Amino acid sequence: MKPLCLLCAATLLLGVPASAQMGPGYTPKDKDERGIWMVMEEEERRLKASNFVMRDAALNAYVNDVFCRTVGSDECRNVRIYIVRTPYFNASMAPNGMMTVWSGLFLRTRNEAQLAAVLGHEYTHFQKQHSLRLFRDVKKKTNAFSFLSIPLDILTGGIGGSLAQLAVVASIYGFSRDMEREADIGSVSLLAKGGYDPKSASRVWEQLRAEMDATASARGKKSRKDRNGGLFSTHPPTLERMTELKTRAEALGTNAPMMVNREAYRRALAPFWAGFIDDQIKLNDFGATELLLTNLAAQGWSGELLYARGELYRARGKTEDLKSAVDFYIQAAAVDKDAPAEVMRGLGLAWLRLGEKANGKRMIESYLNTRPAADDRAMLEILAGIGSK
Amino acid sequence: MIRKRAALFVVLFVLSGCGDYVLVPAQKPVSVARSALFVTPSQPWNRASAFAGKNAESWTLDGQSLNDLTFYGGIADGKTLFRDFDKRDRPLPRFSATMLAPDIAQLFESSYRVATGTSLFNIGRMEPAAFAGRAGFRFAYSFTLQGEEVQRSGEATGSVIDAKLYMVTFEAPTIHYFGSGLTAYRAVVGSASLAEAKPPK
Repeated sequence: MKPLCLLCAATLLLGVPASAQMGPGYTPKDKDERGIWMVMEEEERRLKASNFVMRDAALNAYVNDVFCRTVGSDECRNVRIYIVRTPYFNASMAPNGMMTVWSGLFLRTRNEAQLAAVLGHEYTHFQKQHSLRLFRDVKKKTNAFSFLSIPLDILTGGIGGSLAQLAVVASIYGFSRDMEREADIGSVSLLAKGGYDPKSASRVWEQLRAEMDATASARGKKSRKDRNGGLFSTHPPTLERMTELKTRAEALGTNAPMMVNREAYRRALAPFWAGFIDDQIKLNDFGATELLLTNLAAQGWSGELLYARGELYRARGKTEDLKSAVDFYIQAAAVDKDAPAEVMRGLGLAWLRLGEKANGKRMIESYLNTRPAADDRAMLEILAGIGSK
Repeated sequence: MIRKRAALFVVLFVLSGCGDYVLVPAQKPVSVARSALFVTPSQPWNRASAFAGKNAESWTLDGQSLNDLTFYGGIADGKTLFRDFDKRDRPLPRFSATMLAPDIAQLFESSYRVATGTSLFNIGRMEPAAFAGRAGFRFAYSFTLQGEEVQRSGEATGSVIDAKLYMVTFEAPTIHYFGSGLTAYRAVVGSASLAEAKPPK
């Protein structure tokens, strides 16, 4: 994950006055900034070749359109967005205009306006050049001795030169609360300017807080939503932050735009839901996954979502979970005649694990008739007793 | 930004203490993963001196980033495959004695995904296979780790015996190392046996 770590680090690095605005075609102004851009260009070159970058043309065009609509058609030309297949909530912005958006973000933003809120937040860090202040601050506090406290694995692996090392140090410190606040405020303004409902920004954080509650509840732990750290450590969704975003959006009054573009968002992401949900299910986070699936099913449970829910419960695998999984698979097949064939596989395996051998065998046979070349055919036949008396 | 995590083999390596290696001589039966599992390697291997989990032990031929053979010796119901490294925020999934072979493959996949943060992990062909004289399973897998980008292939062979999971995995870069080490791995798997429990006096 070194390139991404560097992206985060480089977000903090800029060498121009904080008051400078980054207009279209902006180029670095001084020695420090040119050096940092050079380092980041090398990182961008690596990222471009990564197996994790999602290159689907339609998805990239959609995210870029939302971004340009949010920040302006001229301003957006300074930025190149890379969608990275990583199942957590995050986006980051490098000073040379390289933005990364993690695939886990799409499961957590519920409409186009919420996606725009995150993109606007990142862009504000970029536009306001927060990195300079932080960079100088870190530079002041950091000397050679500080490197002794940096984990060894960060210092190794292709990071060369003192700028890059300082970038890494900076990444450990993270943005200050004031900078995050400024980026939050920027995102509300950009939303309104782009025609999106400005309350969307606070809703993103509200949902993250609910997700943290759901994760904690399913694990029998106390929620850490009001503490820094954990999954959302770079963007802690504190109550204070959410409240301020909400207040700022409300201050725009009743004339503020209301557009959220939920349907356009769902259409653009539709081809990717199955993969993103599969990534999420395999994170062993039952509470969050159940919440995210329920949110996706706000307009009704589709066969695809019921299948995913069956997979989630079957993965947890307690007896009651397996019984629930059976119900979800059966519902999936009932509501959607085009539900994936894997519904039969999941149902058959759940029945077999519950000891309902005849049902399990029947369903596995149906699955293998539909998917005769299944990779696990031989194993499933043995488990289901197919071919034996 | 989630905390930076290295490749799983590196994780296992770090968890096992970044320690030394101990030579495992050929043709001598050896107990592995602090368990009743015995193997007799056909060629010398190098054992990581510390363990990645209570019942997880790793061997290598050329270094764990180039080839890694890991024994999971009797993972009991409710236990993880290897040691949690972020139990608070990213706990590993746990083995259940009622799991079927496809569930075990998913447990393995999920453990790797949680431990490394990768989304590029696939389970391939799965088939029945004998292990330590019992009916068991074998499955292929492949994965790539973010920041490293090396495509790796793997194979796992195992069985649930007396409600405990015994499994041996081998993984290496798909280019050259996986193919070149596979025969040695399969020889280790083929030699696996379980020590019989002593009868009560």
